[in-house]
Order: sequence, then structure tokens, then C-alpha cells
Amino acid sequence: MNTPRDSGCTLTGALSVTTEIDGSVTIVHGPGGCAHHNFSLFHTLCIGRDDPRLPRLLSTDLAEKDIIFGGEDALDAAIRKAIEKNPSIVCVLSTCVTGAIGDDVDAICRGFHGIPVISIPTAGFLGGGFRDGHVQALISLSSLAECGEKTLSVNLVGEKTLEFERDEHFNEVKRLLFGIGIPICTRFICRSSMEDISRLSRGSCNILRDSSMCEVGNYLKGKFGTPFIGSFPVGPGGTIRFLEELGAVFSLDVSGAVAAEEARQERMFEEFHALKGKKVQFRDSLGNMTDSEVCSEIAESVGMDVHPAGQPLTVPDPFPVGTEGVRRLLRQWRRACRA
Amino acid sequence: MKQIALYGKGGIGKSTTAANLSAALASQGLNVMQIGCDPKRDSTRMLMQGRLIPTVMDLVRERGDAEISREDIVYNGFMGVRCVEAGGPEPGVGCAGRGIIATFQILERLGALHADVVVYDVLGDVVCGGFAMPMREGYAEEVYLVTSGELMSLYAANNICKAISRLSSRSRSTCRLAGVICNAKNIPHEEELVAEFAERIGSFLIQYIPRDQVVQQTELNKKTVVEFVPPSRQASIYRELASRVLENRRMDIPAPLDIEDLERLAYEYSP
Repeated sequence: MNTPRDSGCTLTGALSVTTEIDGSVTIVHGPGGCAHHNFSLFHTLCIGRDDPRLPRLLSTDLAEKDIIFGGEDALDAAIRKAIEKNPSIVCVLSTCVTGAIGDDVDAICRGFHGIPVISIPTAGFLGGGFRDGHVQALISLSSLAECGEKTLSVNLVGEKTLEFERDEHFNEVKRLLFGIGIPICTRFICRSSMEDISRLSRGSCNILRDSSMCEVGNYLKGKFGTPFIGSFPVGPGGTIRFLEELGAVFSLDVSGAVAAEEARQERMFEEFHALKGKKVQFRDSLGNMTDSEVCSEIAESVGMDVHPAGQPLTVPDPFPVGTEGVRRLLRQWRRACRA
Repeated sequence: MKQIALYGKGGIGKSTTAANLSAALASQGLNVMQIGCDPKRDSTRMLMQGRLIPTVMDLVRERGDAEISREDIVYNGFMGVRCVEAGGPEPGVGCAGRGIIATFQILERLGALHADVVVYDVLGDVVCGGFAMPMREGYAEEVYLVTSGELMSLYAANNICKAISRLSSRSRSTCRLAGVICNAKNIPHEEELVAEFAERIGSFLIQYIPRDQVVQQTELNKKTVVEFVPPSRQASIYRELASRVLENRRMDIPAPLDIEDLERLAYEYSP
């Protein structure tokens, strides 16, 4: 079975966003299994990250009777139950079966006032996957942003909260932004509070996690007029271009920061001099040969020789972010080459 | 056990035909069961002297399906015809088709599906898999299409043929088209038109039921024609239908017409 990263359950994609909001409760409107299976996945992930919190999920736990007569009453009851827990927000996710029978989830959610109750359409059978759930959740939650004047700052949009190196990616972008003196307005959405989300419209530029978030970038551009940069930086040259792109957006002179970053990269390549002259070839995570441009660039900078009979090196997906990402990758490659 | 299903356009007179057919069959001394498979739940009303009996889905809603017994859902009507209404959700919510499937499962579990003749009266259009349930393996083997000579009614009947022909192509399926019943609107050449239609789809016209004021009158009196005015011509037609259904051996896989052919046919017989 071919399982690209963006496929899978739409619910999981949306939950990777809603569970990141401080004090949120997420209702999965469907059979118990839809919530259970996702709860297990998120719980396991939290344990893996030494996070003692339990994902705050609630299921409407529908059975055949609810499917025949409609699940709207069960949803209404579940929202009331969620509100009793005094959450910062209630996110309501639909599932395949409630989508199929046409429960009007939006209308039920609109009936609640006070605590925000946000409907996120996530019926996977309509053709979506993990990515669509992620995108849909961000688009739905952008309605929580309050209008305000733009400040000299950026938003990070669509971070993949389930990514193993999530924090490393974030720290690298933060370091690069610090180098040119631009603060982060908000992370939309990763370890965010409701207040963080409300600031979304005030960032002057959205930095998308990667190209899969393009739909969100365009949506936010239309809604708040915020321009976007299409991806976190990848590879040495990509990192330099990222700084230059930001410079262009903010009309800043970034030549000093660029020079400093280039010097950092030079020092890094020297650190891996043991790889010089090694014969290598690149494989994707499934073991297929790949001719990644970024990898060729790194190989050239270090002085490795790309050769069909060379030592196979794995190109990770997602590719590690920024200069520091390249450093982590080179460490792996050095181990693989026993250099 | 003979199991028959009546399908046809909404409002064409399926329930009237089904109730009178059941009444006529019961009058011959047969043990008859009629199952209304329409959320509108009025299939068996005339057999029950106008009473809307509790539906299977009403009880599921109130008590859950574990708490239902056979006595709760099967009601004895005219001449001992045992009546069941599937019922369904409120219009506009939930999934009525799933309700039909659940009803059949409950009837099976309670062992309620036995009689000399079971008559399934199904909602007009086979809108989803749930409403094709009576045609599935183990249920109705003989489907009767109820239609008038109006184009829209023939169009609906033709559509139902598509469901029958698809279902009958399955290896263990025993569902077949048994015949076409013309419930007339009294338009000119109606009997010839419906007979021609029946032949074109590979079946035959089993009964022509003329339009008669008496049907309206008996329904206002909350009875079937067979019960209210047994000597009437209309009652004898229903009795004739009952005899023909009992003797009928036709079991056809229909070949639905394409829309142009159907329209051309209706046009040929138009006044």
C-alpha cells in the first residue's frame, strides 16, 4: 500500500491542530471508534514526548439508532457536556457517517454562545486525507482571529505538530528570524493559546510550514491581506534564500545576517571534512534511488562524490529545516559512512 | 411462503393496491402479512380501520431495539392480515434507508417474517440501498410494479427496473419482476400503453385497475374496498388480482428502456 504522508484519516489531521490549543476540548461526532483510535495515537505521541497530558477528546459515540434518526441531538448533548468542563474552545469534528447522513453540524455549533464552538468539516469519505483535515482545521479556526493593526512580525502557519523534529524545526526558524530581528507574532497552530490565535491577523507575513499549506496561505492572504512565504527553509542555499525573501518582504537589509549564516555554513561543512571524497548515493525513506537537488548541493559543499555504487544515504521526509537541519543530517550521514 | 413487493412512483396507489390485495388474499383464507416500508407509515392504515399503528422505528426510538417483542410491532387487521410499519426518522434528518435495514433485522430476529403471503409495500423511488432491502436475498422474490399511464409514473417504474435487473444479476439473487399492475388514472388508451410498456421491459400487464370513485369513498370510511363494499366491481377486480398473483409464474429479469424510447412510447399512445 502506498501511504503518502498527506493521506490517512482527515480527523487525525484536524486533531493535530485542535489538540494543540490550550484548554480546548475536541468533540468527534461519530462512532466511538473514530475518537478512540485517534485518542490512542495522540496519547502515545504525548507519552513519547514526556507530556503527561491526556488528549481532551470527547466522542458523541453514535450507534445505529443515531444514524437512522440523525445524530444532531447527540451532538448537542456532547457540546453541553464539553462546555461543563469549562474549556477555552470546543472544536467539533464531523466523521464519515455523520457526513453521509447529512447532520447539520454547523447549525448545531452556531446555536452556542459564550465559549466558542467551532465546526470543522472532516468527513474523510468526501475525498480528503490527513492534509485536508489539517488545512480545514486551520481555515475554520482562523475565524477566531481578531482584527488588529499589523506589526513587524511573522506568523508560523501549519507546523506539523506530529512531526518528530517539530521543536528543532521551530527553533531553527526562530534563530533565523532572530538574526534579522523579526519576532514571531503567533504559531498558527502549535502549542497555542486562544490569545495566540486571536493575534493571527497582526503578523505581517505568514511563513508556511511547507507547500502543502499553500491553501491556508492563500486563504489567509484573502482574509487578512497577509503575504506568505511558501515553506520553512530547506538546505544551505534555501536557508540563505529564506533570509533574502524575508528581507524583501520587510524591506530590510539582511546582508549582514546572510553573511553570518554563510560563514556558519562554511564552518559546518569543515566540521564534516571526514565525508570528503566519500562515494555516496541517495535513497528516499522507502529505499528508492532519488536525485534530490538539496542533497546534491550538500554533497558538493562537503566534497562527497555522488556515485551509483556509493554508500546509500537516506534522505529524510520531511527534510530537516535550515542550516542546523543540514548539520543533523550530516551527522547521520557520517555515521552511515562510518567516517 | 410467497413474498411479493410492490414498487412504484409516490402517490400512484401502491398502498391502496397492497391493502386491497392483502385483504383479498386473506379473504381466500390465506395467512397474510403486510409490511409498510415507507417512513410515511400509512401502508396498512385501511387494513387497521384507519389506525396508524406504532412503527418499528418508533419503538426503537423510544426503547432501543433490544426491548421490542413481536407483539409490539405486529398488529392484526382485517381478516387477520398481520400489519407491520417500518416507520423512520422525522423528515429531513437521519437515514431512512438504514431504518428499513434495521427493521428487517429486527423482524428476522423476532422470527416475525412468516405467512402464506408477505406483501412488502415500498416507498416510491428506490433512493438508496436501504429501500432495495425487500428485494434482497431471502425477502421478496416477486416484484410488482404499480404504474399508471402517465409518463412520470412509467419513468419511475422504468427506474425501479434498473434496481431489479442489477440485483437479479447477483449470483444468489432470486428477485425477479413478476408483473406490472396498471392503477389507472383513466387517460385514453392507458391499458394498451401500460401493457405495451410491460412487454417492452420484458414483463406483462397482470391487472388493469380502473379508476373508481368507490376507492375514495371507502378510504374516507377507513376501510379497504374489499372490506367495505365486497360486491362492488372494484372489489372483484382486487380479488381477481389476488388470484392472478397466486397463480402467476412469470419471473423476469427486466430490461429497462432508455428515456427516449420511453418518451416515444408514451407519445405514440397520447390522444
